[in-house]
Amino acid sequence: MSSSRPLDNVNPTIFAPTSASSSSRRPKNARALLWNDALDNYELDSSEEEREEIDSQEIFDLLRSITDPEHPVSLEQLRVVNPEDIHVAGNRVLVWLTPTIPHCSMSTLIGLSLRVRLLRALPPRFRVDIRIKPGTHQSEHAVNKQLNDKERVQAALENQHLLQVVEGCLATASQRGMPSLEVKAEEEQGSKPAARGTMPWVA
Amino acid sequence: MTSQDVDRICRTHVSTGDLDPPADLLLALNDGSIILSSVVKALGEFLTSEENAVRLKGLTFLSNIVKQMSPGKINRAATQTLTNFYTSKLDEFDALVPTLETLIVLSKLPTFDDETAITVYKAISEQLNMKAYVQAVRHAVYSVLDSLIALHRKALKNLGAEFLENYVKLVDGEKDPRNLMMLFAMDRVILLEFDVEPMIEEFFDITFCYFPISFRPPPNDPYGITADDLKLSLRRCISASPHFAKMAIPLFLEKFSTSTGPTMKDLMLSIAACLPTYGAAAVQQRGNELWEGIKVEVLYSSDTSIEAAGYQALEALIATIYPTAQDVPSGLAQDVIKQCIEFMEDPEKSQAIAAVKALAAVVRASPSAGPYALSQVLPYLFTKFNRPAVPSSRGSILAAISSLLAAARSVYGAPKAKRHQSDERSLSPFRETLVDVLREGLRTEDLKLPAAKGTVSLVEIPGLIGRSEVEDLVRSLNDALLNDRDEQVRSSVVQSLLSISNSYSDIVESTTLPLLFHNLPDRAPSTSDSDTRDRYRRTLKSLTRLCVSPSFSETLFIRILTKLELLSTAPMIENSDGDDVMNGEDGVDERECNVAYSFELLMCLVEVVEEKIASKHAEIAKYFDKIIPRLHGLLVGAAAPRIGLSQPLFRNRRILSLVADLTETLTRELSIERQSKQFLDFYSAFEKGQIVTICHDPTQARGLNGSPLRHGAASAEGDLIALYASTVCSLKADAAAPYPSADAFFSSKIHWAVHEANNNWQLRFALWMITFFVNKREKELGDSLDSILEAVWVKEVVETSLPLETRCRALSVYLHTIKGLVVLRSSVAYAALERVIDVLKLSSFDPAFVNEAAASFGILSSTESRDKSREKHLSTKLLHAQKLWNYLLPRLIEGDQDAKGRDRLPYLVAISSLLPLVPASLYLSDFPRIFSLILRSLQLSEPRQRTNAVSALIAILETPNHSTAVDQILHERAGDMVTSLLQCSIRDGESSKSSGILRSTALRCLAMIPDVIRFDILRSQKAVVIRDLGRTLDDPVRAVRKEAVECRAKWFRYGAGA
Repeated sequence: MSSSRPLDNVNPTIFAPTSASSSSRRPKNARALLWNDALDNYELDSSEEEREEIDSQEIFDLLRSITDPEHPVSLEQLRVVNPEDIHVAGNRVLVWLTPTIPHCSMSTLIGLSLRVRLLRALPPRFRVDIRIKPGTHQSEHAVNKQLNDKERVQAALENQHLLQVVEGCLATASQRGMPSLEVKAEEEQGSKPAARGTMPWVA
Repeated sequence: MTSQDVDRICRTHVSTGDLDPPADLLLALNDGSIILSSVVKALGEFLTSEENAVRLKGLTFLSNIVKQMSPGKINRAATQTLTNFYTSKLDEFDALVPTLETLIVLSKLPTFDDETAITVYKAISEQLNMKAYVQAVRHAVYSVLDSLIALHRKALKNLGAEFLENYVKLVDGEKDPRNLMMLFAMDRVILLEFDVEPMIEEFFDITFCYFPISFRPPPNDPYGITADDLKLSLRRCISASPHFAKMAIPLFLEKFSTSTGPTMKDLMLSIAACLPTYGAAAVQQRGNELWEGIKVEVLYSSDTSIEAAGYQALEALIATIYPTAQDVPSGLAQDVIKQCIEFMEDPEKSQAIAAVKALAAVVRASPSAGPYALSQVLPYLFTKFNRPAVPSSRGSILAAISSLLAAARSVYGAPKAKRHQSDERSLSPFRETLVDVLREGLRTEDLKLPAAKGTVSLVEIPGLIGRSEVEDLVRSLNDALLNDRDEQVRSSVVQSLLSISNSYSDIVESTTLPLLFHNLPDRAPSTSDSDTRDRYRRTLKSLTRLCVSPSFSETLFIRILTKLELLSTAPMIENSDGDDVMNGEDGVDERECNVAYSFELLMCLVEVVEEKIASKHAEIAKYFDKIIPRLHGLLVGAAAPRIGLSQPLFRNRRILSLVADLTETLTRELSIERQSKQFLDFYSAFEKGQIVTICHDPTQARGLNGSPLRHGAASAEGDLIALYASTVCSLKADAAAPYPSADAFFSSKIHWAVHEANNNWQLRFALWMITFFVNKREKELGDSLDSILEAVWVKEVVETSLPLETRCRALSVYLHTIKGLVVLRSSVAYAALERVIDVLKLSSFDPAFVNEAAASFGILSSTESRDKSREKHLSTKLLHAQKLWNYLLPRLIEGDQDAKGRDRLPYLVAISSLLPLVPASLYLSDFPRIFSLILRSLQLSEPRQRTNAVSALIAILETPNHSTAVDQILHERAGDMVTSLLQCSIRDGESSKSSGILRSTALRCLAMIPDVIRFDILRSQKAVVIRDLGRTLDDPVRAVRKEAVECRAKWFRYGAGA
């Protein structure tokens, strides 16, 4: 891990993470509105299993706590991923990602982390598109191409070094917005990723 | 015991080297049959022996005797002789430990006089070279000194400089923390009591040489001395004498530049402790320099604990220089205040916030500098507030004003305040402006939080603002409470109102409460009107917090009951499906809205009651009569038969359950006499049909004839069992019983549960009633229990001519009776369980029933949190669960081994139903067998039993440090375990043979495997697990998917790190 190369974005703006539980933002049916969640204790019969569809909030929960490759903060705190920028329709998922600065060379790496996370955490029936939010990056088109090309992604994941970096970013993914004490410990172990070699992984 | 005996004993012990004095010798010494001097005489030849080793043994033997014998038996002469003897041995290096230990004992005797003390002290200081000894010896020396200083202080004082000089020499250079703790304590006594002024430099050297302490205890330190212990001890020492001032203050100033982190904090706290002792004259000379040092830390330190310590130091500094109201606040105080105000130029900067805290410290510190600070800073802040440079800074300005008010409140409003606003009049000139500013803050967005805090402080400063001004401010708070949408603001406002109600409860009661109640509608808003619904929820939340206070509870209870009574007259037509005229969207009608609203009103009442009980408000019992009969009346009225489709609100079972819980909670708080009356009333209502006895208003019972439990009563009437059961469950064992015979009463309840209960909801209450009744009245029922249980078993449970459903109910009754007895470890219960175990054999004849019987063991090991919280109120005996487990398990295992093929299944079901009964540590005793039973249980069909098995596995995997044997078995069976857990995790088609709880528990367990099992064991399975877990990612239940994602991520990482 060399520190010879300067960081792309030395001092990014960090936002406070939103509340850990996001269930409140989910639309409810009328009966659920009437009977508060807190009243579950007095539920008469809860054996039926209603299908709760995978929605954009759930996907945001999967992504929000992935660590940025340059800074020990989450993608949510950097507003790289936002709940409004995730769209689900049937078996298709579209995620817009917003780089912190227009020349960020980490965008592809962040995109790859998102891709790997969703590859592992979503049912195989989903087709996932990950795109740079229009107008937020200089080489938007090239990055998009790289992120959504199955073979290039596959090739990238066969690169052991790159895979390790991605795993590092994903190590915190399970926090789902909840603050965790472990973050610091992991940082000290030096598992904090830093792929600061040459520009992006190209197949 | 003769003198020959003594001789013989001494000789044997010394020559054999057994230096522990025999019990009979000690006995003889203690009862006076021999005297100590004869022992000394007998030991004579050894004590004076030329041979070092022999002499040491003799001396140690004597020491041990002195240490262990009764101190009262050592007379003045013996004390003298022994002390002289041991003092003369101080120069013998090897004998030092027993010598010192004996001197410690002797020095504590009443026969040890001042003169001897001085002799010992002189001998110690002349003959010992402390540097040559190890820690334990030095510790012994200090213990002797400590005892001398404690008991012969006056004599040592008379030694004057000689004592001090020697003391300083003795303790110089000590480094061990255990010894230092002792020395610091002695130093403090000497500094306080002895005339140390001429020797102060030497004392400065032996104390300040340790300052500041940077000690880090070694890992696993058995002595448990922390750095804080030492720091505190030393601080008490260096703050003991004002003579230190001249040397200490320059040292402090010097340390400012070199200290960081914990040492800086120590420095600040030490300054805070020392300055008041050192006195105004000494401190004043270097006051400015001290302030400079403190200022840097409070303004720029990133460590909040150092910052806080800095304010303490500043407070001490100002308090020392300006202790009284007569001290003119010129010089340093003026400088500090001026500089702080300069830092407040940009109120949003962190330096400005620190400056406010520094000013608050000044306010707290001095009756002269404090008021002066307020007179300077408040006008400045008011101007800034009214004409802010940037609008956003007003919040910070108001927060600053609030902090200063809080400081003033802590000075003037504390319970035993020494300073009074009426004397100092520091805030009086600003009274009106303060009220105006706060009122404006409470009205303005983003200013409400600091304003609410400031308001409380202002109200709580005695003698500052008048009643009308308080009313004014409370009105502004009310406004914020009702209309603000920010949860945090409302919560803070409620807190403020609660604080204000401590001194002005009548104002809050007459203005806030009516407004809140006014916001509760008489009828529930429709489903689409979420604004009104949110408003009543907010209002109820505020009321719940406010009305725990004893002054408001009664009003709340009355108002809520009135609302409920009003609601009970609401339209009660329940729409049948297809009747779309009155249906709102989503099939929720007006009636359900009203039910939900009533439920939330009741919930508020319940929460207040529970909070009051938790905080042990004594008056809670008196509310019973105000609440319970009125609620019961409503429910009884609703249960009366109606014409047509009408369904009164209070027939709703959620509401009934909630009222039943409340009844149970409140009845528990009643006295025995009152409980007895309650039991009598319910008995008349439910057994004699006089239902009016439990109603508040006799008209409510109109239309109800006879007991709700009678044969053929309507289902709605039967639902009232909830109230009866909750009353019986909450009775104490010695509440008087209204029935002529306990067993007849009990049998009738059993009959009702088995044959009359309309549905499972009613049955559940009846079963709880049965469990509690036998549990509390086991003695009263006595021998009849056995025959009642037998009758239930023979005539109903195993009576095959009855329908299966009835038999299963009877079985449930049977086990619930046992449940009440087994926690008392009653032998009747164990005997009764034998029948259930026996019946498990019959699975080929009566498979459906036997399966039910096996599962019914689950009744004895509840897993639901609501059941568990109720079970806490059962009378229990210690270790009942372990005893039951140890009783049942071997029998079930035996049955399992004797049976063949499918006949083994019931035993497995029984065991897995029992698993939650005991903690995992008990499984470990017979691990191989229980583990394989658990693994087999994972194949059972019922999701509940599989969940039990998976939970048991989790408990095993969580248990830390299991033995290598356990570990080995886990590794051997890891493959099977993973395969079964995967099966439990996956939802197969639409079959009902799975549940969300089972799947998420299984996934959680599967996620633990990579932490417990070595990767090489499961390497071959990793790919399969990851592939199969892919299916769990599409589970219909969101909570299961969450576990699935985490579990799969864990398995992806499995083996990757290694």
